[in-house]
Amino acid sequence: MIASSLPIWVVDVLGSICMIVLAFMCMRLANLLRRRDRNNIVWTYLFWVCTALAVFAVSRSAGHILKQLLIITGDAATWNRVRPYSGAVNTFTFVVVASFTLFFERTWNIYQQITNDKQDLQTAKDKLLYLNQNLENLVSERTAELALSEHKYRRIFEVSRDLILVAGKDGRIVDINPSGSEMLRVEDTEVQSRYLQSFFLEQSEWQSIADAIESKGFVANAEIDLKRSDGRRIRTLLSGSLDRGFPDKEDTIHFLIKDIEQRRLAEEQIAQADKLASIGQLSAGIAHEINNPLGIILGFTQLLIRHEDPQSEKYQDLKTIEKHVRNCKTIVEDLLNFARTSSPDENLIRIDTALDDVLKFIHQHGDHDRIEVVKNYDPEVPQMFLDEKKIKQVFMNLLLNARHAMGNEGRLSLCTEYNPEGRQVIIKIADSGYGIEKRNLSRIFDPFFTTKPTGEGTGLGLSVSYGIIKNHGGDITVDSEVGRGATFTIILPVVSPEKGRHHAEKHTDRR
Amino acid sequence: MKYVIGRMPPVGAIFFLQFTMPLPVLATQGHGGIEGVYAHQMAHLFFIISMGVLIYWLRDRKLVAISGWRFIQYSGLFFILWNVDAYTVHYIEEQLDLLKIARQGPWLLEVRAPEGFGWLSRLYYVAKLDHLLSVPALVFMYLGLKRLLHEDSTAAGKVHP
Repeated sequence: MIASSLPIWVVDVLGSICMIVLAFMCMRLANLLRRRDRNNIVWTYLFWVCTALAVFAVSRSAGHILKQLLIITGDAATWNRVRPYSGAVNTFTFVVVASFTLFFERTWNIYQQITNDKQDLQTAKDKLLYLNQNLENLVSERTAELALSEHKYRRIFEVSRDLILVAGKDGRIVDINPSGSEMLRVEDTEVQSRYLQSFFLEQSEWQSIADAIESKGFVANAEIDLKRSDGRRIRTLLSGSLDRGFPDKEDTIHFLIKDIEQRRLAEEQIAQADKLASIGQLSAGIAHEINNPLGIILGFTQLLIRHEDPQSEKYQDLKTIEKHVRNCKTIVEDLLNFARTSSPDENLIRIDTALDDVLKFIHQHGDHDRIEVVKNYDPEVPQMFLDEKKIKQVFMNLLLNARHAMGNEGRLSLCTEYNPEGRQVIIKIADSGYGIEKRNLSRIFDPFFTTKPTGEGTGLGLSVSYGIIKNHGGDITVDSEVGRGATFTIILPVVSPEKGRHHAEKHTDRR
Repeated sequence: MKYVIGRMPPVGAIFFLQFTMPLPVLATQGHGGIEGVYAHQMAHLFFIISMGVLIYWLRDRKLVAISGWRFIQYSGLFFILWNVDAYTVHYIEEQLDLLKIARQGPWLLEVRAPEGFGWLSRLYYVAKLDHLLSVPALVFMYLGLKRLLHEDSTAAGKVHP
C-alpha cells in the first residue's frame, strides 16, 4: 500500500505542538488551584500529575517534531542517533505519569481525613471559644438551675403531707421529712439513729418488703401497720424503690408512706352505718309484724283478768302473761326506735338541762356517792329543737352503761361544746370504767349485742340510742381502750325552730 | 562466556580482582536488541492500568457527579485509548515484523504487507494518527481542571466517600 504521509506528518507535528501547549495550560490551571488552597493535597496532587504530563508531552512531542523535521530534511541518520534517547525519556515519563496517577486514591483518603480532622478541630475550637467567652455565665446559669431544682425538690420533701424517708438497705434511716417525724411522733434528732423496721407493728412485713425491693428494685402500695412512738397503731400505704446511686456510694431506698388511718376509719364507719341501716330495716319489718299480735294478746289477757278473782291462781297466770307481753312490746318499741320508724316530737330544749335531769334521776335510783361527776358545759350551746323524751332516753342509756362499766367507783365526765362554724353541738360522755375491747367496738351498736350477763340487758340500749341520734340528723361514735374507759361522742346539728320542723319531717320521710 | 575463579574465594580477593582485573563475567548485563521495546511497551501497559485505576476510584467515590472530575475521567479514558493505539503501532512496527515500511518520496509512504494482511497496512496507517487520541485526552484534562477551578472551591470536599 502506498499512501501519502502528509496526514500522518500534519497530525503528528500539530498534535505534538497541541500537546505541549495543552499540557502547560493544564499545568497552569493546576497551579492556580494549588495556589487557591496550598493546604489542599488534592490540588497539589493534580499539579504534580500535570507537571509530569507536561514533561511527558515535551519529551515526546519534541522527539516527534525533531523526527519529522530530520526525515523531511533527509537526515535520517541523525534521527537514528537521537531516537534511543527520545524513546528512553518517553518511557521514563510514561512511568512517572502513571505512578503519580496511581496515588490518587491514597491522596484522596488523606484529603478526606485532613478535611474531617480540620472540621473536628474547628468545631472543638468554636466550642472552646464559646465556653471560654461564656464560662462565667454558663456556670452562673447552671448554678441557678441547680439551686432552683434543689429548692423545688427540697420543698416537695419538706411540705409533703406524706412521710418521705431515705433509708439504707438495712433500714437505717438516713433522712426523713417533717411530716414523717410528725406521723411517727419522733424528734428529728432521734429518728436518725433508728431503723425503719422498728416502727413496723409486724416485723415479718419488713422482711417481705426488703426482699421485694432486693429482687424487683421496688415495692408499691403495700398496706403496712406502723407503730408510733406513743404506741398507737396507724395504717399506712407504703411504696419504696431502690436507688443504686453512684458507684462509690451506698445504695439507698426511698420510701413514700401515706397515712390511711383516717380513710380506713371513715370506711369502717360507712360500713358500720350500712350494716346498722340494714339491721334497722330488718328489725322494723319484724317489729311491725310482731307488734299487732302482741297487742291482741295483751288486750285479750287484760279482758280475761277483769273477770278473775285477784286471789285465784288463774288471775296470777294471766298477770304473768300480761307482764311478759309488755316486756315483748317494750323490746318491739325499742326495735322500732332503733329503726327510726317513729317521728320525733321536737321541742326547744337545753342539752345541759336534759343531761342534769337524767343524772338526777339516776342518782335518785342508786348509790353513786363514790362516783365523781365532772361537768364541763359550754354556755354558748344554744337551745336545740329536739325530741326531749328520746334524747333523755339516749342519755339514760349512756349514763347507765357508764355506771355499769365503773361499778360503784369512778369518774364520769359530761362535756358539751358548741361549734359555731359547723353549727353543731358535741356532747361527750366519758367514764373511767373497764372500757370496750377492740373486737367489740364495731358491734356495740348492733341490736341485741351485749356483754352483760344474760337477763341483765337486752342489748338494745345503744342500738336505740344510735337510731334516735340518727333520727335527729346527728352521729354517735365511741372511742375506748380496755382499762382506760370509754368516751361516747354525740354530734347533733343545731337547727332553727322553723327549719327544725321541716328537718324532722324530712328524717321521718327517709324511714 | 564464564570464568570460574576458584571455590569459596575470600571476600577481599573478590573485591581486589573486581576493581583491578575486571573480567567479562563480572560486567553488567547487556540491554541491546528488543529489550528497549519491551520496556516501552510495559510502560504503555502501566499507563493503561494507572488510568483504569484512576477512573475506578473517581467512580467509586462518586466524584464523577462533579463535572470537573467527570471531564478528568474522560481524559483518562482517552489516554487509555491512546496507549492502546500506541502499543498497537509499536507492536506492528517492531515486534510483528510483517510490514515493510519504506519512503517513496518526501510525502509518499509505502507499506508492504504479506498476502492476506492488507488490512494490517490500513490499520497501521490509521493507528499512526495517535495524536487524534492524545490531544483530546489533554483537552478533557484541561476542561476538567478549568471546571474545578470555577466551581465552588469546596465542591470537591463535599463529595465524601
